[in-house]
Amino acid sequence: MFLQRLNPSLKALTIMLFVVLLAMIFDPITPLLFLIWTVSITFLFGKVAWKKYTLYFIPFLIFAFGMLWTTIIFADTPTNKDDSITLFGMTYPRESLLTALALSLRVLNVAALSLLFIFTTNIVHFILSLMQQLRLPPKIAYAVLAGYRFLPMMRDEIKIIHDAHRVRGVNQAKTIKEKWENYKRYSIPLLASSIRKAERTAMAMESKGFTGEKNRTFYRQFSIKKTDWIFPLIMLLGFSAAVIVSLEMGYLKLFS
Amino acid sequence: MANWRFKEIVVMAALAVVFGVVYLAFLPLGGVLVGFFGPIGYDLIFGIWFIVSIIAAYIIQKPGAAFLSETIAAMVEVLIGNAIGPMLIVTGMVQGLGAEAAFAATRWKNYSVWVLMAAGVGSAVTSFIYGYFMSGYAALAPGYVTAMFIVRMISGALIAGLLGKALSDGLAKTGVLSSFALGKEYRKKHAA
Repeated sequence: MFLQRLNPSLKALTIMLFVVLLAMIFDPITPLLFLIWTVSITFLFGKVAWKKYTLYFIPFLIFAFGMLWTTIIFADTPTNKDDSITLFGMTYPRESLLTALALSLRVLNVAALSLLFIFTTNIVHFILSLMQQLRLPPKIAYAVLAGYRFLPMMRDEIKIIHDAHRVRGVNQAKTIKEKWENYKRYSIPLLASSIRKAERTAMAMESKGFTGEKNRTFYRQFSIKKTDWIFPLIMLLGFSAAVIVSLEMGYLKLFS
Repeated sequence: MANWRFKEIVVMAALAVVFGVVYLAFLPLGGVLVGFFGPIGYDLIFGIWFIVSIIAAYIIQKPGAAFLSETIAAMVEVLIGNAIGPMLIVTGMVQGLGAEAAFAATRWKNYSVWVLMAAGVGSAVTSFIYGYFMSGYAALAPGYVTAMFIVRMISGALIAGLLGKALSDGLAKTGVLSSFALGKEYRKKHAA
């Protein structure tokens, strides 16, 4: 689909730009409208599985809710105290309520923007593109790619350490406290084995001629095409529309 | 970067991968704490998110280790697919800069307990300034924001500084660090 074929670096930069723009908005209407826009774009152009999407989104709903009530309770003293709203039998200052809503909707909107990126981006392509478009030094890029390959091995490693401990008579952890003790016992061997593995990988790469030189060639080439700019444009369109609607409704508030 | 051996970069990346996973594992815990205590919940355990800076800098002892390791850890978190997204890389850079500043102040020569704790506090300071703008702390009561800041600095010094040092020293004892600065130091101390 359209989002999947986008240049990963450009996609990441666009997302970052809008996260920064959102940080300057302190009214609830703009993030609400832009949230709807972001989610719609994700599903229209991204072909994202909605079940998986929902699963990832739920933690943020909880987090946003926590943000909502704490911001109401710990809010700065409002400038206009008499202007209040009654909700569920409690009276809140209107200003605090609106700011709290704005902050929690912002959390959700940032989450939606990030999910858009995560669900439509191939990670290896992202690193390759960072190297080719954003001048990430190859030494770091390939070190990260190598490190990333260790991830699935880590689970096996934990299993091995666990078994090794059991053979030597460490009991199976049942309570949370015992589990915590176990993790403490695993941490050093786990780190030690990844350091050893990293050392060996580095030597193998160097012995096969990896120098980390900047003017290297790539098997998979990435570039920014003219059509890639459609994405930032669409997002900008949605954001401006959200800001304008919010302004028309008299809610728009920048930096409180 | 020129005086770095490739081995050191890959080891730093490997550490960043391990702690990237640890960082992600602590996110839901932070979320629960936030649910109970409000935004200050994150600050209680915020130090854990600076720990790789301290460990990498302490082990490798070269300029840039704190900054790069934290940046890579953030990148790894994005790779695994956390939902803060690419913006997290910037957060990692900001935190790494704070720790790096503390090491830079000693010209990357001193790696004593106090400097490691100062690096944890440094990360706390920069990450707080960043969070103040990005997460809208400006909307909270000044007293509460001050409390958050103090708790985060303490967390940075204790969790990142002290725990980071304890883990690195534990690693040095195993001998895997024999070709790195910390391991060499350890051997020199115990040869006599």
